[in-house]
Amino acid sequence: MMLYYVPSPSTAFASTQYIFQTVYFGRFLETVHLYTAYAMIMLAFMHMMRGYFVSVQKKPREIMWVVGMVMGFVTLGFGFTGYLLPWTVVSKSATDVGIGMISALPPALSSAITFLIVGAGGDATELLRFYDLHVVVLPAVLLVLLTLKMYMLEVHGIAEPSTGQPAQAKAARGLPIFPDVTFYLLGLAAMFGSAMLLISAVFPLSLPPEYTPQLAAQFTPQPDWYFLWIYQILKISVLERAGLPVALGLVTLIFLVLLILPFLDRGQTRKIRDRPTYVTLGLIFVAELIVLAYWGLESPGRIIGTEEAVFVLGGTAILVGVASWAAYRFLSRRAGDHAAPKTRGALRTAVGFVSLLAGGAIGIGWSLNGVVRLVVVGPSFSNVFELILSCGLLMAVVPLTVLFLYSLESRNGSLKRRFCMLEIGSENK
Amino acid sequence: MKPTKQIVALLLVVQAVATVYMWVVTLLETLSTGQFAIFLAIDLLSFALVAYVYTHEKWGEVVNRGWIVVGSAGLVILLLSSLYFS
Repeated sequence: MMLYYVPSPSTAFASTQYIFQTVYFGRFLETVHLYTAYAMIMLAFMHMMRGYFVSVQKKPREIMWVVGMVMGFVTLGFGFTGYLLPWTVVSKSATDVGIGMISALPPALSSAITFLIVGAGGDATELLRFYDLHVVVLPAVLLVLLTLKMYMLEVHGIAEPSTGQPAQAKAARGLPIFPDVTFYLLGLAAMFGSAMLLISAVFPLSLPPEYTPQLAAQFTPQPDWYFLWIYQILKISVLERAGLPVALGLVTLIFLVLLILPFLDRGQTRKIRDRPTYVTLGLIFVAELIVLAYWGLESPGRIIGTEEAVFVLGGTAILVGVASWAAYRFLSRRAGDHAAPKTRGALRTAVGFVSLLAGGAIGIGWSLNGVVRLVVVGPSFSNVFELILSCGLLMAVVPLTVLFLYSLESRNGSLKRRFCMLEIGSENK
Repeated sequence: MKPTKQIVALLLVVQAVATVYMWVVTLLETLSTGQFAIFLAIDLLSFALVAYVYTHEKWGEVVNRGWIVVGSAGLVILLLSSLYFS
């Protein structure tokens, strides 16, 4: 595709159309490219959630998890930068909305990101930089991260099945990379490739119309499916009124929690049955993402009322939480161990954790918004009062979190383990 | 010959036929794109099955007949879907 594609606003669509209509197998290549990109994002998410549920992030693989998460962000970056390149009305409008959101960040950060990805030359520079990021910078970054992750995989080995015991890292090694592991992985890759080829042959792509400002004015921009959940969060009335920094702060907090997860979940056991809190939180997270994405797809451009959002998202969380609680209760009864008190404790922990997380998210977003308004609008009574209130909320959440963690650790009798979080990779400790 | 070796031999024949067929597809016709994709998919799926049998035999694990049946059914479906594009 790089042989024919020309990254300039006047030629990008025409060259893409040329690939679609004239180049042999051009449309097929474009189709395979898009579907495999979608599959990569979906599989990366499934890989992450599978890792979360079976606790691969636990000692000694904390940094592997962090590197994997950064690889996930790079993968989303591939999606964001690649989406613009055909220069269709769909892709350009959605990317413009994404770039517009950057302006809501604190000024210094906003200028730096805008300079890096858009430049000062309007559409031409923007498209060229997106193309460079997509075909040079991001692949290079991904290659470095992949090398790092493979090195750590060699050092720590593949996470063994969760047995309920602390990680025994050296137990399941011994298979040579070539030919055993290579053939195994090639077999999986061939199966995946086969499925992608079949889907691409049966459902070939068609190219949306070219971007023009006139056509874009009649079009409601909507991101690609993997960003729909963020799009829907930003459309919730209360977050919209509070300003983009608050909503973006909330989304950043979600990413941040995922990034530093190994340092939050320090429990020793990896067995799903013994981790009801984290498993329930994971299930709620997946369910909320699916609900938000579907809802975003069904309501393009419509602002979502706060009550509606609380009802749908809260309802989803309660339904999944209750289903998970019931499943744990059923399983523990079936196993014959009287785990009801443990389950009640887990429920209390889950409620406490979710409340603190929500309080922290609101506090961070609110105070960020307060600072930005103070800088942009200037000091006024209401601005200062709002900032004091938001900082007060944050100051309340921090000691409450410490107290919460302390009470948890006191119950488990494992306070000392909490201070091992910096001893990454030291399997013998 | 062991049944697993018979399966591998058969799959290699399927792979070879699919590869040869890919070379006779007329690249200039739009419909051939679909045929090309299907025969490449057959090739890859046969390879995946060969790799599955090879690795499990080598590791001393039981080759699950269920997966072989599912894979073979997949090959048949792919072969039939190639008719759609012809």
